[in-house]
Amino acid sequence: MNPILEVEKVGRRFESPGLNPLIAVDGVSFKLASGETLGIVGESGCGKSTLARMVLKLLAVSAGRIRLDGADITDLPEAQMRPLRRGIQAVFQDPMSSLNPRMRVRDIVAEPMRAAGIDAATREARVREMLSIVGLPADAAERYPHAFSGGQRQRIAIARALASSPKLVVCDEATSALDVSVQAQVLNLLGELRTRYGLSMLFISHNLGAVRYIADRVAIMYLGRIVEIGPVGAIFDKPAHPYTEALIAAVPEPDPDLPIPEALLGEIPNARERPIGCHFHPRCPKAQDRCRVEDPALVAGNDGRQIRCHFPN
Amino acid sequence: MTAATQTTRYPIDGWRLVLRRLARQRNVLIGGAIVLFVVFVAVIGPSLMMHSPEETDLFNPWSPPTAQNPLGTDKLGRDILSRLVYGARVSLLVAGAVLAITLTVAAILGMIAGYMGGRIDAFLMRFVDIMLAFPEVVIAILIASMIGSGVLTVIISLALVWWPGVTRLTRSFVLVIREELYIDAAIVAGTPTWAIFLRHLLPNIAAPLLVRASVGVGFIVMAEATLSFLGLGIQEPVPSWGGMIRDGLPALRTDPYLAIFGSLALGITIIGFNLLGDGLRDALDPKLQGR
Repeated sequence: MNPILEVEKVGRRFESPGLNPLIAVDGVSFKLASGETLGIVGESGCGKSTLARMVLKLLAVSAGRIRLDGADITDLPEAQMRPLRRGIQAVFQDPMSSLNPRMRVRDIVAEPMRAAGIDAATREARVREMLSIVGLPADAAERYPHAFSGGQRQRIAIARALASSPKLVVCDEATSALDVSVQAQVLNLLGELRTRYGLSMLFISHNLGAVRYIADRVAIMYLGRIVEIGPVGAIFDKPAHPYTEALIAAVPEPDPDLPIPEALLGEIPNARERPIGCHFHPRCPKAQDRCRVEDPALVAGNDGRQIRCHFPN
Repeated sequence: MTAATQTTRYPIDGWRLVLRRLARQRNVLIGGAIVLFVVFVAVIGPSLMMHSPEETDLFNPWSPPTAQNPLGTDKLGRDILSRLVYGARVSLLVAGAVLAITLTVAAILGMIAGYMGGRIDAFLMRFVDIMLAFPEVVIAILIASMIGSGVLTVIISLALVWWPGVTRLTRSFVLVIREELYIDAAIVAGTPTWAIFLRHLLPNIAAPLLVRASVGVGFIVMAEATLSFLGLGIQEPVPSWGGMIRDGLPALRTDPYLAIFGSLALGITIIGFNLLGDGLRDALDPKLQGR
C-alpha cells in the first residue's frame, strides 16, 4: 500500500541578490502511512512551516519530490492540483487570520466542498454536521468570525478542514496561538477526529507536549534538516541526538523540587551561513573535533529511528 | 494582542462604532450636509424651477437678481438659478460615471497586479507610473481635445486619467490581504483564482477602496468644470458650472452675478465633497489618521 504522503529529499532555498541563498529546508525525506500522525518539531526558523507550505503546494520546492497517495504532485500545475485538494486540507496557526472576516461561518466551512463541486443542499447539511462535531451551536453558521473566540475560531477552521473528508490534514502550529486550556480542548478534538475518520496528520508544532500526545512518530528539525526521526515513545524516552535531548530537557516540569533545566546556549544559526561540519556543533555540549569538520548523515538506529549525529546517546 | 490586530486589520468593526466616530467629526457633518443638499438639488431641483435652463429671453440679458430671476440672468436672458440647479445634475452625473468606471477598472487591474505579482504586476505598475507622471488635468485636456467635446468625452477623458491612481491604491490593499492566512486556506480548499478575487479579495478591499476613492469626487467635479471652462467639456446649451463661470468672466465688472454664483456653487460643492471624503477616511480608516 502506498503511503498517503511521501516527501523525498525536499529542499527549499530563497535567493536574494548580494546574499548567500537562505536554505530553509534541506533534503527532508519521510513517509506518512495511512492513519498515521507525524509530529514535526523544532525552534522558530527551523523550516517546519516552509515544509508545511510545500506539502500544501502553497510554495514551490527547490529540490526533491512530493507524492500524494502515490501521485507525484511536485510540478503539477494548480489547475490539475485542484481536484486533489479536497484530499489534503490544513489547519493554520492563527485563527484570527485564517477565517475571512467578511464571510459567514457557513460559507467558510463550505468552501472546500464548494470548490469540489458538491451541491448546495449537501453542503448545507454537511456544514450543520461539521459544526456539531466540532462542538459549535447550529446557529454559528449564520454568524461572522468576529463573533467567536480564538478557540471557537480554530474549531471553525477544523470544521472547514474536515468538511471535504480529506485523507491528510496538515496542522501548522494549529494550537500555538491559543490559550493553554483551549489548546488542550482543540488538541483533544483533533485527536478524536483523527481516530474517528482514520486521518493521517502532519502535526507541526514547537510544543513538545502536544506532539507527544498526538503523534505516532516525531521528526526533530534543526536548520532545515531532520536531525532525528522515529517513534514518539522511543524518542521522548531516550533521545539520541543531543539537540532532541536539550529540547526535551527544556520542557519545564511542574515540580518545584526539580532543578531548573539548563537552557541550550546560543541561538539557531543564520540559515544563510550554516556552520561547517555538523550544523549543531556550535551549540552542542558534546561537540568534538570531528563534529566541526564532518557533516553527519542521517543513519538508522536500532529501534526504528534515524539520527544525524556522530556521537549519539 | 487580538484587540490591537483587529482594529488595524478590519477598518470597519460594526456600523454602530462607525456612526459614533462619524458623529464626532464636525467636518463629516458639514460636508455631509452640503453633499446631501447638492444631491437633493440635482435630483429634485429642476422640477421646482420656474424657468427651463435653456429658455432664453433676449429682452432681459444680464439681469440682476429679481423676484422673477432670483439669481439674475445671463447674456441670453437665461435664468441663472435654473442653470445652476441643472448644472448640479450634470456635475454629479459626470462624477458618478467617472467614479463607477474608474473603480471597476481599478478593482480588476489592481487585484490582478497585487495578487499575481511578478511580471504582470511590474508591467501594470510601470504603465501606471507613466500615467501618473503627467498632471492629470493636462492629460484630460489633451484627450478631450483629441476626441471632441461633450458629456461622454468628459467622462471618458476623466476616467482615463483617474484609473491609474485608484489602481495603485487597490493594489496596495490587495498586497496586505494577500498575506492573510484565509487566502492560503482558500487555495488549499481548491478555490479557483477568480473566486478568490470575488469572495475573498473584493469584499475585503471594497469598503476602504470606496472611501478612499470618494475623497476624489471633489477633484473630479473640479476637473469637469475646468474642461467645461476651457470649452472642451459640456457644450451649450446644456448648462455646466465651468461653462457658466467662463461666460460670466468677461462681464465680471459690469454684471458679476453669473460668475459669482457659478463659482460659489462649484466651490461649495467641492468643499463639501472634500470635507465628507476626508472625514469618512479618518472615521473608517483609523490607521491613516494624521497623515
